[in-house]
Amino acid sequence: MQLFKTPHINFMRYKYVALAVTFAIVLAGVLNITVFHGLKPGVDFGGGTLIRVEFKNPTPVGQVRKSLADVGLGGSTIQETGKKGYEYQIRTTQFIKGADAQQEMEAHEKLADKVIETLRGGSPESLTVVSRETVGPQVGKDLRKKATQATIWALIGMLIYIAIRFKLEYGVAAIFTLTQDVLITMSLYSFTNREINLPIIAGILTIVGFSINDTIVIFDRVRENSKIYRKESLEQIMNLSLNQTLGRTMITSGTVFLTLIALYLFGGEVINDFAFIMLIGTIEGVYSTIALSCPVVLFWQKAFKTKKGFRR
Amino acid sequence: MKKGLQWKSIIIVAVLGLAIFLAYPPKDKIKLGLDLKGGIHLVLQVLTEDAVNMETDQEIVRFQELFKKNNITFQTAAKEKPGHFVFSGTAADQEGKTRDLIDQYTRDWDYSFSGDKLAFTLKATVIQFLKDQAVNQVRETIANRIDQFGVAEPLIQRQGSERIVVELPGVTDPERVKGLIKVTAVLEWKLVKAGPAPDEETLLKDFGGKVPEDMEVVRGDASRGEAGLFLISRVASVTGKDLRMVRRSVDEWNNPAVSFSLNSEGARRFEKVTGENVGQRLAIVLDGKVQSAPNINQRISGDGIIQGRFTLEQAEDLVVVLKAGALPAGIRYLEERTIGPSLGADSVRQGLMAGLVAIILVMIFMVFFYKLSGLNAVAALLMNVVILFGALSYFKATLTLPGIAGIILSIGMSVDANVLIFERIKEERAAGKNIPGAIQLGFQRAFSAIFDSNLTTIISAIFLFQFGTGPIKGYAVTLIIGLVANVFTAVWVSHLIFDLTVSKTAKRLSI
Repeated sequence: MQLFKTPHINFMRYKYVALAVTFAIVLAGVLNITVFHGLKPGVDFGGGTLIRVEFKNPTPVGQVRKSLADVGLGGSTIQETGKKGYEYQIRTTQFIKGADAQQEMEAHEKLADKVIETLRGGSPESLTVVSRETVGPQVGKDLRKKATQATIWALIGMLIYIAIRFKLEYGVAAIFTLTQDVLITMSLYSFTNREINLPIIAGILTIVGFSINDTIVIFDRVRENSKIYRKESLEQIMNLSLNQTLGRTMITSGTVFLTLIALYLFGGEVINDFAFIMLIGTIEGVYSTIALSCPVVLFWQKAFKTKKGFRR
Repeated sequence: MKKGLQWKSIIIVAVLGLAIFLAYPPKDKIKLGLDLKGGIHLVLQVLTEDAVNMETDQEIVRFQELFKKNNITFQTAAKEKPGHFVFSGTAADQEGKTRDLIDQYTRDWDYSFSGDKLAFTLKATVIQFLKDQAVNQVRETIANRIDQFGVAEPLIQRQGSERIVVELPGVTDPERVKGLIKVTAVLEWKLVKAGPAPDEETLLKDFGGKVPEDMEVVRGDASRGEAGLFLISRVASVTGKDLRMVRRSVDEWNNPAVSFSLNSEGARRFEKVTGENVGQRLAIVLDGKVQSAPNINQRISGDGIIQGRFTLEQAEDLVVVLKAGALPAGIRYLEERTIGPSLGADSVRQGLMAGLVAIILVMIFMVFFYKLSGLNAVAALLMNVVILFGALSYFKATLTLPGIAGIILSIGMSVDANVLIFERIKEERAAGKNIPGAIQLGFQRAFSAIFDSNLTTIISAIFLFQFGTGPIKGYAVTLIIGLVANVFTAVWVSHLIFDLTVSKTAKRLSI
């Protein structure tokens, strides 16, 4: 069975449209993140305490919220997880600024104790603390620094490898493509109510992995076709390559999409956010590889007057 | 069958067998991270400045002794800040002699004369060394304590220049463990000069309201039932370093207590102090707080007992920290996570469930699109997973939640490799090649795309591993292993199955 007879879509014609669309989404996202604070750092990056509890008897979320509000902890984020009415995830979001990191840490711990005590309401058996995590302010800062560092080095590594195996402009295009993958995904994610935690970072890294994979498959085809069709312009060759690989792009992404749906539905609370951001990223990744990776190579060649085509 | 095929088959079966051997049974062979297993994860920072401070204090005393012994005049010695102190009231005509003396004694300090002042500054390299040593010693001490406490498979690791990561699987009482790790555990026996008293004024009544130079004021440990302030001698008669043995025992009223015996040197001093001070009180001071201050009824030699209102647990923990020794520098917590075993088990169950559903969906999808050839891809995919787990077990890598994400990416790329190959075979068929030729060409032409895309991702994963922190590392590890296995299964295993099942003269290919 053939999903697509090799189609003849003139993808390259839409290159300016694609750029404009990308630009618009990223701009909206950046505005949302910077002006409206759309990205919520979770406990891993923002610090604070996250407690997961399980009640012995069913307890409606309103009651949980009310008992916390009664002791001045109304600002806490309360989420129902797992077994509805029994399991909750509570993050204290009180703004704590101690004289030093140690005091902040202890203040967070005290808040957590207060939450647990309040919810227990005097009978210790009524509530099990499933997990509790306190992250000091320093760790979040370090984590951000480390993650940034790792990302930059990974990008440089990929750029060099692609520049060697293909050409510099292909490396640049690949990095550009995946940078905008991250930007668009984060932008879209910022419009949801979800937090940024470590699993989300793993998700973004995975999106980058798939995106670079897609991009290279297409570049590989361009590289091959350049040797076969020596008379054609690079733009025509890119169009041909995009069409030839369209079937595999769709099938592969479709498979990944299926996997993610399974994770999203059955993976449990912790994996849910991860699967969600991956779902956004996968759809977006298909768009960016088809619509953006090749045009960037063309733009680069135009701007720097490098030798056209693939041949050096 | 061609000879090459025979060897390939043997190698593949051997790799598969080895992977199964390494990973079976997965329950025992695959190490799960704390997020999947439950336990305590602590990140703590060593206050390395403490070590420098302590060194400074000790050196001031040593220099004072040195100068006194060699008749070098000075009036006071004062610490300005850790690693920096000043002698004042020195005589100008003794400068040469002082220089010789210092140079002979140590090279660790830079010093300079100005007027009647002599300023010492600890060299930067020495500071670095002291800090480094402090972190290592703290790590060892904590490891000792955890060891004494008894935790299966603890991980106590240095991270960066000042941090230590402690991971204790299966432990669910964080407060106790944190207390156990955090106490400095400096134990001292000091003579009580006055007290206990409710405030400093009453305490110092007999001393004219001032603390004499050879004494200090310390607080009683309220939780041990010693309230109030004590005036005690500055110099300890015996310290924790003199302990030969500590054991949990009971006092004469059957309350939990800690009994100890001293080494010969300590016993000698203990005997002297108790012999000379019968009728007085001897304070047992732990981390600057008086635990108890019993009366000295008679001369005591090397054995004794520490009592306070201990619970059984507290007495046990005191034994643990005394056995493991004192921390050379203070610590503070930066991060603490306690994952209950039930949450971990839930994550594993749900992760397995989701993984199974995902794999089954992928299989159905592949068979639907590529018929019998799809089975080929499924075989390669399964083998990929088996090799991945074998390698995880071999490298003793820890499987974490982000690690599962890494596995998903490598499964995705494994499917992609097969899709690339199959699509290529179809194209070659459409271009008029016969079946064996199309298969050969399909593999050949798809190879560069598979190789380049996998290698690029591996390169980025290596950097993530190099620079990332714990969870990101876990992700990178599974990804690297998965992708290497992927190149192997897609290029070799899948190809071999085609070669074995499709005859040279095949007229139809189920793809």
